[in-house]
Amino acid sequence: MISRSIEEFIKAQPGKEYYVKLAEELAKLNKELNAFNNINGSLSSGYPLSVKDNICVKGMETTASSKVLSGYIPPFNATAVERLSAKGFGVIGKTNMDEFGFGSFGLNSESPARNPFDKSRVAGGSSSGAAIATSIIENHVALAESTGGSIAAPASFCGVVGFTPTYGVVSRYGLIDYGNSLDKIGVMGRSAARVRYTFDIIKGRDRYDATCVDLPAGSERKQASKKLFVIRNLLEHVDESIKKSFEKTLSKLSGMGFEIEEGELKELDSAIAVYYIIAMAEASTNLAKYTGFKYGGKVDDFSKEYNEFFTEAREKFGKEAKRRVVLGTYIRSASVRDKYYYKALQIRRLIGEKISELARKGSIILPTMPMLPPKIEDAGKMNPLQAYMVDILTVPANLTGLPHVSFPADYIDGLPVGAQIIGAPYEDYAILDLVGKWEEDFSYKFAYNLGSL
Amino acid sequence: MKIGLEVHVALPTKTKLFCSCKTYVEEPNTSICPICMGMPGSKPKLNKEALKIGLSVSEALHCKIKSRIGFVRKVYFYPDLPKSYQISQLYDPVGYNGYVDLGSKRINIRRVQLEEDPARIYREDDYTLLDFNRSGTPLLEIVTEPDIQSEEELRGFYAELRSILYYLGIDIDKEMKADLNISLSDSRVEIKNVTGIKNLVDAARYEIKRQSALIEKGEEPRVETRSYLPERMTTERTREKETDEEYGYIFEPDLTFYSTTNVEKIEPVYASAIAKEYAEKYGASEKTLLELIAYDRNAMELLETSAHRHGMQSIISALETLKKFKVQMDPEKFEKVIALVEANAALDAERINIIAKGGEVKIGKGISEKEIEEDIEKFIAKNPGIVEEANRNPKSINAIVGKVAKETGANAKVVAELVSKRLGIKP
Repeated sequence: MISRSIEEFIKAQPGKEYYVKLAEELAKLNKELNAFNNINGSLSSGYPLSVKDNICVKGMETTASSKVLSGYIPPFNATAVERLSAKGFGVIGKTNMDEFGFGSFGLNSESPARNPFDKSRVAGGSSSGAAIATSIIENHVALAESTGGSIAAPASFCGVVGFTPTYGVVSRYGLIDYGNSLDKIGVMGRSAARVRYTFDIIKGRDRYDATCVDLPAGSERKQASKKLFVIRNLLEHVDESIKKSFEKTLSKLSGMGFEIEEGELKELDSAIAVYYIIAMAEASTNLAKYTGFKYGGKVDDFSKEYNEFFTEAREKFGKEAKRRVVLGTYIRSASVRDKYYYKALQIRRLIGEKISELARKGSIILPTMPMLPPKIEDAGKMNPLQAYMVDILTVPANLTGLPHVSFPADYIDGLPVGAQIIGAPYEDYAILDLVGKWEEDFSYKFAYNLGSL
Repeated sequence: MKIGLEVHVALPTKTKLFCSCKTYVEEPNTSICPICMGMPGSKPKLNKEALKIGLSVSEALHCKIKSRIGFVRKVYFYPDLPKSYQISQLYDPVGYNGYVDLGSKRINIRRVQLEEDPARIYREDDYTLLDFNRSGTPLLEIVTEPDIQSEEELRGFYAELRSILYYLGIDIDKEMKADLNISLSDSRVEIKNVTGIKNLVDAARYEIKRQSALIEKGEEPRVETRSYLPERMTTERTREKETDEEYGYIFEPDLTFYSTTNVEKIEPVYASAIAKEYAEKYGASEKTLLELIAYDRNAMELLETSAHRHGMQSIISALETLKKFKVQMDPEKFEKVIALVEANAALDAERINIIAKGGEVKIGKGISEKEIEEDIEKFIAKNPGIVEEANRNPKSINAIVGKVAKETGANAKVVAELVSKRLGIKP
């Protein structure tokens, strides 16, 4: 069922010749899936599934887009993959991403991602391939992962639904770690219903992930909150065109009977700094294991001292990965640990309390990204700090582990514009319900409709 | 002089600390999985049995126990460490601020923490082998304050700790490794990875001598890490870099915090306190009793069940006999051994083993001391030269003892005492 050409397609760049090939492959795959589903007695039991390249699929190369891991073939499935496979989902390939999830544009990869709506623009990251696949393949869902906005950002830029569950509700077993206290496996799809269907299967306790929990009983029946809060101080960082479009979205929602209110959370001003401190500290420990002699890219010369040996292996990290190892290691060092790492943990808790307090009174609504997908060359010119600031709207929910979903809310000059709903902890189904209601009166546009049944 | 210890003990769990692989498997690299190999994507899960034992040790060492414990990542690069970080404890260990009392001296315990063992390294001349069977085996690190001030206290502490651990079900015959911190002045010298009490004492003795010599010369010993060389009984400077290594600790975000309040703990047994109690109550030697019960659960049970029924000297003789022949038995059978002792009957391996297997041995009518003394007189009468011989060479009495014990079926130890008394020599 695994198609090498699809795999290559999703990892590489969409070009016309690939679409033709992909369409053929998908037609074959759909036939196989139908046959599978017929045997299993249910026609609708599974979708063709793409899996972000940092989520382990047994027997399929999994590299998190890093040369350090080239050739790593996991001997086990991630729990989410395992659960979906058992329900008849067939893995069609691994999707491109920023190396280890380090990036917001999909450019920190061997094959930088391009937006299906405009190939001169970025697709968003780090789950760039997941969003592209969802945007061009009709009958499909994508397993993606978010640490600071890696599902919402590309979903918004590529015009699909991107759902990030409450931290801990989907098992991280089999996820190649970026920042373990921040990482969430989530789902992208072309509708809230498909996302929900997939989430139903992957959610819930897993004995292989100590941080994984069940949703409270009755969560599935949660309805959308009638009240929606806009966090005013976050809009200061948003481009005018996006703001205008967002106003349109709000008035549409208000016409649907939602009550829109403004709120302010000054604590969020430090969210980006706190997020990057914690994420880099954890990332630098997670990347320590790549020493080049047990898996992935191996070093051949065993005559060297261990320090020289692993230093050679670690030269294969990309520039952004190296930057985060250096910064993260500094943050963890004894002389500044209290000042940065512990302080960041404390502020994270405070921000979490404040934002949850607000989200319990009503869901939060914000634009997903502060800008339209930038041109690839412009994104490439940004310095790291400017690039990190692009996450200003997605970091608050990600830092605090709150469920959030980005959905296409508007189109400007043919480019999709996403809005996001953030729920209180474990209100996952309530925010999906809201997007479902939005879809009743709003049609999404897609760049291609490959593999339709 | 200040000595502090960091003792590492392997825990007797069937599986590893963070995965389901079996512990202590011989065939190299056969008890491994993605978790203990640190494969990308794998996550640790805590072995609750290890937590239970860790908390039990903490309680037995009178430690304070927080309502929840947590783990940290200790980051360093070494080939035996698959993730390049060790999951250990720092801020929320299983126990802290405890103590061990040695008579009137208190050795304070700074911390008790759970951590995973790295892989085993086999260094050969031109290659190195790694066995990951050991990777992830649960270890408990027990850290003392630098309260130990003499060789005697070092021995005493180590023996007491081993006894406490023994009664918590820890296999104390498994390698117990310790790091020894010794400072005679302001400079702290650490001696890494010393195995066993003999090496520990020898290393301490050498190091005290070495540092004293430096101080006498007016030099300050340098702060450094050294290793102990058992074959030369000296310590030497470790080549690897040292001095306050930078481990870049962060909380282990793959594990949650674990509540300690509902964990059922193993009841501690303090053999030294029991030895003291029985010695005072029954007028026996505390040291003798402790030697019998410090690392012997069976002896402890037999002592406790028989103490109110028999003379303490008989119990001690009976327990010493079991120890000598390495035999274990239940209290009911032990009664028969005591009966032999009280009848001054012979206590050989054969008879003890028969009792242990549930068989009966004849005590006979029992032999009084008077009867044995009469037999000794008879033997002397027949061998008059023996008295002079015995005074010249005390070992020659063994001939009388053997003969008399055989003829009377009496306990050889009792006979030996009586012969010595009769001949006026020290046994």
